[in-house]
Amino acid sequence: MAEVATSKLDPDSHLLLDQPLLRLPHELLRKNLKTAQRHIESTHKAVSTSIDTLKPAAKPADTLAALEATLAKAQSLKRKLEALHEEEQTLHRQQRARIGHLQDLHDVQTVDDVKFDNWSEVRLDRLLVDYLLRQGYSSSARALSAAKSITDLVDIEVFEEVRHIDSALRRGDVKEALAWCGENKQALKKIGSQLELELRLQQFIALRRTGEMGKLMEAVVHARKHLVGGLDTEFGLKAGGLLAHPPNTMVEPYATMYSPARSSYLATLFLQTHHNLYSLPSQPLLHTALSAGLSALKTPTCHSLHRAQLSSPAIALVGNPVCPICSTELNELARGVPYAHHTKSHMEEDPVVLPNDRVFGRERLKMLNEKLGVPGGRVRDPTEALRGREWSETELRRVYIS
Amino acid sequence: MEALQQAHETLEGSANLSKALQDVDSLIALLTSTRDAIADGPDMAPLHMAKLKAPLKQSFDRIDDDLKEVNKGLNQYNKALKDKFKNSSLPTAGVGESSGLASQKNLVDRAIAMHLLREGKFEVASTFVKEVNAQAGQDREDGENVEVETRWVEDFAEQDDNDEMDEDEDGDLNEELYGELGKGHLQRKFSEMYRILDALRNQHNLTPAIDWARHHSAELDDRGSNLEFELSRLKFIELYTATQPSDPSSSILHALSYARTTFPTFTPRYERETAALITGLAYSPNLTTSPYGSQLLNESLWTTVSNLFTRDFTSLLNLPSTSPLSTAITAGGLALPILQKVERIMTATRGQWTSVNELPVETPLPSGFMFHSVFVCPVSKEQATDANPPMLLPCGHVIAKESLEGTARGKSRVKCPYCPMESRPGEARRLYI
Repeated sequence: MAEVATSKLDPDSHLLLDQPLLRLPHELLRKNLKTAQRHIESTHKAVSTSIDTLKPAAKPADTLAALEATLAKAQSLKRKLEALHEEEQTLHRQQRARIGHLQDLHDVQTVDDVKFDNWSEVRLDRLLVDYLLRQGYSSSARALSAAKSITDLVDIEVFEEVRHIDSALRRGDVKEALAWCGENKQALKKIGSQLELELRLQQFIALRRTGEMGKLMEAVVHARKHLVGGLDTEFGLKAGGLLAHPPNTMVEPYATMYSPARSSYLATLFLQTHHNLYSLPSQPLLHTALSAGLSALKTPTCHSLHRAQLSSPAIALVGNPVCPICSTELNELARGVPYAHHTKSHMEEDPVVLPNDRVFGRERLKMLNEKLGVPGGRVRDPTEALRGREWSETELRRVYIS
Repeated sequence: MEALQQAHETLEGSANLSKALQDVDSLIALLTSTRDAIADGPDMAPLHMAKLKAPLKQSFDRIDDDLKEVNKGLNQYNKALKDKFKNSSLPTAGVGESSGLASQKNLVDRAIAMHLLREGKFEVASTFVKEVNAQAGQDREDGENVEVETRWVEDFAEQDDNDEMDEDEDGDLNEELYGELGKGHLQRKFSEMYRILDALRNQHNLTPAIDWARHHSAELDDRGSNLEFELSRLKFIELYTATQPSDPSSSILHALSYARTTFPTFTPRYERETAALITGLAYSPNLTTSPYGSQLLNESLWTTVSNLFTRDFTSLLNLPSTSPLSTAITAGGLALPILQKVERIMTATRGQWTSVNELPVETPLPSGFMFHSVFVCPVSKEQATDANPPMLLPCGHVIAKESLEGTARGKSRVKCPYCPMESRPGEARRLYI
């Protein structure tokens, strides 16, 4: 059986699915630092101005007041930094737990090792929680990660925030998404994201749609402030075009822009941008791993018309365990995926064929028949168990399968 | 991995905001002392203010430096991270038809629900089913096209106790469950299994397992299971090795009387083993050093029997003993690196798979992941399918149907590709492998 893998485990290639695990806390730590920087800069500026603008001849009372004000600013900075430091410590704790989890895999030598099973189980739970979060099954995700004590290995808060913004966007509310853009301004600029412009345009569309004069004026002011000014004229032009076309227009691209479907477009764009920014894969990793696994395990037999007999209980008990692809859980799901590629047959040792055209390894057939209590010299098709017909052993024929 | 760990140590040890916080504290102290000084002597205010400027600037410089150190730490970590994963791009979803799974959310959800049940996470499972239900309801309200069958959710709903009371009594449990795995009592079944397993594994209490096995004795026998005997054997050993300081011989008597009543009920196929067990009694109290010691005093017996129990229990439900989802994900983890590599090459060479139904490359898995025999035609190198099944020639060689037809090409006689024997194509037999 040349196709059987060596059981040696190469952790580095096995970690393919695990990059996001370490990426996300790191990106969040960066964001945390950026926020700290911003707070410090603004406090620095405020403190310097209030002290520099103080005239040397100022009254002591004014000086004191100015000092009190700066002191308050410094204290507020301290509070903010304390909150950020706390967040940082949480992230460090997660990071430590995650590195430890990956280190566990490096301590496993072979895939036969029990430790590998344990590790795989934790990975499965992680992938499940990730899937649940992405589908919006937030309570299940929380319950599962708590039950398995893997809260430091999953990103519940991150996905709950995403979910929150996403559903607000689908309701047509862009405020929270804009706030998120504000928090991630620099990073968004770096990747050249147009998310914020799209959101601003959405606000413009909402104002324009009313058709009221006052709102229209507001819309124009809004467009001047947020949509024009950059080098990119695209959004300014769009706004201009929208002013010229009423909400019931049939003219494209304006009809699409007025359409309610735009809210789900924005939600999708937000998700893409978010996942891109934090190096999160766009698909649940469970899908990636599962489709690969289904294919690797699948054989043409799994959806064959003759399958039911093949994986019958008797075989299951005394022979191979029931095939996961044949089981109810995964059978339908695996229907569409390609089956594994094999270049060589692998059969049970010393295959023989029964008069009913079914093939078994001779030794195993013998063992199965013994368990079924078939008298010596006689043989029965074990997949038919007790209902099966019985033949003389001499009717078995050897088959040659290369 | 070490580089990552080191970089992380630096972050946790020094490259964090704690220093900046200290320096903000000293900034506050500086401002406070200046304020107090001015409050004490207002006349000197301009002087104090002038004296404040330089240290104030220094304070902020120090805080900036603190942040720079954090930044440096993060950069180092980032470098280690990139290094660690330099050979693996982020997994794309593009392995084969994986996007297909996204459109089968319902089936994925069902697989997860069953997985949670068989893991014994009943509360999580019920939360999950509730959420799936709620979301489906929401989608329906939103007028979205919910053709998706969430009917399985109903199957998971807890049923009234009454309608199932007699099920275990029926004895044809298997018939009833066959092909109806998603039905409501699945949860009940698994919770029964975990109750018994808990007693077995954690409390070394055999009674629930023995009761269950006796109850299902006929079905288990039918399948050639030896669970019932293994349980009795363990019970015997437990009785024998129970230490009773007051009366050392009582344990032997207990074991003997248990053996007398129980072992004769088993079929003759266990004769040898029962004989060995009884003989073991003769070696008391020096069992540890006797030839039977290793056989009888083995902690792993409990684990073995627990596993045997799980296997038989799930197999009466016609389910694999380990979660299919778990097996599939582990197999996926092993196969992904290869598939990823192929995909990279395919993209680079703009190649395409020649067969949509089959992976383009072998994804070798350990032997524990092989569940079916596989027949690959030695002529065409293709795997047998229902449409192209293996055919047995009269000489005993097997080739695929299409290969046979290709070799025959309408002629009335065909020569086996592997031996000199000729036969008529109609003589070939279809095999079921």
